[in-house]
Amino acid sequence: MTADSAPPALALRGTTVRYGDRVGIERVDLSVARGEFVALTGPNGSGKTTVMRAALGFLPPSEGSVELFGRPVGTLSIRQRARSVAWVPQEESLRDNISLLEYVLYGRYPFHSFLDRETAAERARVRELLHTLALEDRAEDGVLSLSGGERQRAILGRALAQETPLLLLDEPTSHLDIGHQLDLLHRVRVRARSTGVAIVAALHDLNLAARFADRIVVLSRGHRVADGPPTTVLSEDLLARVWGVDADLAVDRRTGLPYLIPRRIASERPRGAPSPFIGPVHVVGGGGAAAPFLRELSERGYRVTAGALHLLDTDAEVADALGVPCAIESPFAPLGEEVRARHRALLAGAKAIVVVPFAVGPSNLANLEDLRSFVAEVPTFLLTRPPIRERDFADGRAQAVYAELVAAGAIEVDDRAALLEGLEREVPRSPAPARAGSPGTA
Amino acid sequence: MAPPRAPRSLARRLAGPAGIGLLAVAGLLLLALSSLLGNQAVPVGVGFRILLHELSGGALFSDPCAGTGVSPAHCSALTFIVWQLYLPEVLLALVVGAALGLSGGALQGVFRNPLADPFLLGISSGGTLGAAILYVYRIGVGQADLYLPLFAFLGAIATGLLILGVARGRHSSVETLLLTGVAIANLLGAVLALVLLYNPVGGEQVTFWLLGNLGLASWTVDGIAVGVVLMLGTVLVLFGRDLNLLQLGADVAQSSGVNANRVRLHVILLASMITAIAVAFTGVIGFVGLVSPHVVRRIVGSDYRVVLPGSAIVGALFLLGARDVNYLAFPSSVLPIGIFTAFFGVPFFLFLLYRQRRLAPMEGR
Repeated sequence: MTADSAPPALALRGTTVRYGDRVGIERVDLSVARGEFVALTGPNGSGKTTVMRAALGFLPPSEGSVELFGRPVGTLSIRQRARSVAWVPQEESLRDNISLLEYVLYGRYPFHSFLDRETAAERARVRELLHTLALEDRAEDGVLSLSGGERQRAILGRALAQETPLLLLDEPTSHLDIGHQLDLLHRVRVRARSTGVAIVAALHDLNLAARFADRIVVLSRGHRVADGPPTTVLSEDLLARVWGVDADLAVDRRTGLPYLIPRRIASERPRGAPSPFIGPVHVVGGGGAAAPFLRELSERGYRVTAGALHLLDTDAEVADALGVPCAIESPFAPLGEEVRARHRALLAGAKAIVVVPFAVGPSNLANLEDLRSFVAEVPTFLLTRPPIRERDFADGRAQAVYAELVAAGAIEVDDRAALLEGLEREVPRSPAPARAGSPGTA
Repeated sequence: MAPPRAPRSLARRLAGPAGIGLLAVAGLLLLALSSLLGNQAVPVGVGFRILLHELSGGALFSDPCAGTGVSPAHCSALTFIVWQLYLPEVLLALVVGAALGLSGGALQGVFRNPLADPFLLGISSGGTLGAAILYVYRIGVGQADLYLPLFAFLGAIATGLLILGVARGRHSSVETLLLTGVAIANLLGAVLALVLLYNPVGGEQVTFWLLGNLGLASWTVDGIAVGVVLMLGTVLVLFGRDLNLLQLGADVAQSSGVNANRVRLHVILLASMITAIAVAFTGVIGFVGLVSPHVVRRIVGSDYRVVLPGSAIVGALFLLGARDVNYLAFPSSVLPIGIFTAFFGVPFFLFLLYRQRRLAPMEGR
């Protein structure tokens, strides 16, 4: 029945789905072969559910196509769709206390006309299905009496009873404890392997995705940003970029599969999410001294810019991970005129400037020098610990510029707390979007 | 082999062949006894013989009153009362009760809301308005028997169509539809009040209509009502499976192959037509449509394949019971049946509601 040339179970080609003005997914390409288990992942609102709803024919694409087994989903009748694709939604309101057996039999709906009823053979098959889901003892019980894990398996059972060659699972494990999560996905996978059913599962948990899926597709703000086997897709960089989370990537020695251990939130907002209109606060640093400030200020809701930094520098990487606009120079090179111009542009747009206690050498002395023309207009905070003389690697020139800045009105602060207090005072938290001077990223 | 199950419920035991036989006998007995109840008492023995005589087409009890001391003239009067007045009224109570119960069950299913019924949605109000227009503008005065039901029917149907028409957005949700119905019901109520305000004479008759009554009953009326309700009701009952799936939400239902919009359209139309028939012949009889499905769900659970026919049966028994109690309580001056169903139904409904809260919640949160 399934030849190699057979069309894929699900194919999105350049698919864009809009909700009014808002874009759900944009130009997404996705192909799911028969018998394949694809995990669909991405932050909340990245478009996972939209992909599923498009596949179910609920949301017609405004561009591109959505095909089930080679046929545009829009050309299939509701009944035909129900025979091709079954769905386990994120939420299913089981309000009425019908027996589990009757509930799972609902899945047989598309195989009956208005007048005929379920056959004895179908009932037997559904009982068999309940057995594989370890629910056979509950067949006569009301669905409202089921536990969370049983309920989720029951919903899966209803979808499986449709005996479709494609199964969509939208966060099927979100209400389950870890044991039931593993159990459910294991059952799904075994079922898929034994019957050749293609599975697309939206999964929040990347480790679960890596463990069960043949392929992981990552969506971010409606775009497909990664697609491949777990070993190639999962990376620390991906987590920082897409989820804004710092994580360590390790390999499970028993399975050879990657897993991620999240450490902390890199930023409260995913990268590129609309910035709040506090600030911007410009951070001058380098060599890793700015990183904690970039994080802290971002987390506190300030729009942050940084510069000028060197590529591969820790500060530059953190700035990149946080989506902080930044002037960047090649590694170890003195700051060039172009970079300095961009740095000055960022300084010009800032509502406050924070100079972190960074090591000043000949290659980045210009960072301090460029501040001279701004100190008078923009509140500038100089962090004093460790003192400048301990970090002056430019033969005293850094100390000279520093003194000049203090004389011109820069505010010296001893520590983080004093800085935050100063910022609170100097940078208004007005919601007014000062769009005009918004510095663009190069 | 099978693990022990909970003891079978009363409802399940009654569903066996013996139970059905028992219920059938009880039902027939109730029907017969009800046919002897009315403004004028009919002796039970004579009454039964009259019924059997008429039912057998005269083959049995060629003289039903022989040996009872009832004079032949009185006997033919009793025969007329039982056969031409009481029995048609009983049958009309049954069929209208069934229509309202079924309609209520179907609407509660399609709206996924235990409050939905033909009244809330304004379908009954539409029927009343139709009747009011007829009375007030004195249309077809000579043939009120024909025009009155016709206008009421058209009014109710038009309301159902209006609700569907107004709510016919691409993504009209169940809530939109329900709110549309409620809004239209209010509008119709206002129009009716306006019509009555300026036409006090027609108003009296309309008020009588508003309270519901079984006075129009005749074999012809019964024939039409039974025919229509049986036909449309059968189709409606067949939507039980679709309604079951709709309870999971329109999206899940659709992913399982249910054309949710089409099911909604058909069910609302059928329920409107069945309600329209009831309103056409008896005016506005409250509470049957609301309470019957609740009673059924209490007894047999939430499977609409059972809830729909069950609501019809409970509705029929409810209305017949209301009629009988009405005659027993006020033999000489019966109250309009619509008033009686409320008196009868509301305390019962509240009792159910509070009992239900103590037991298992049926409607979720």
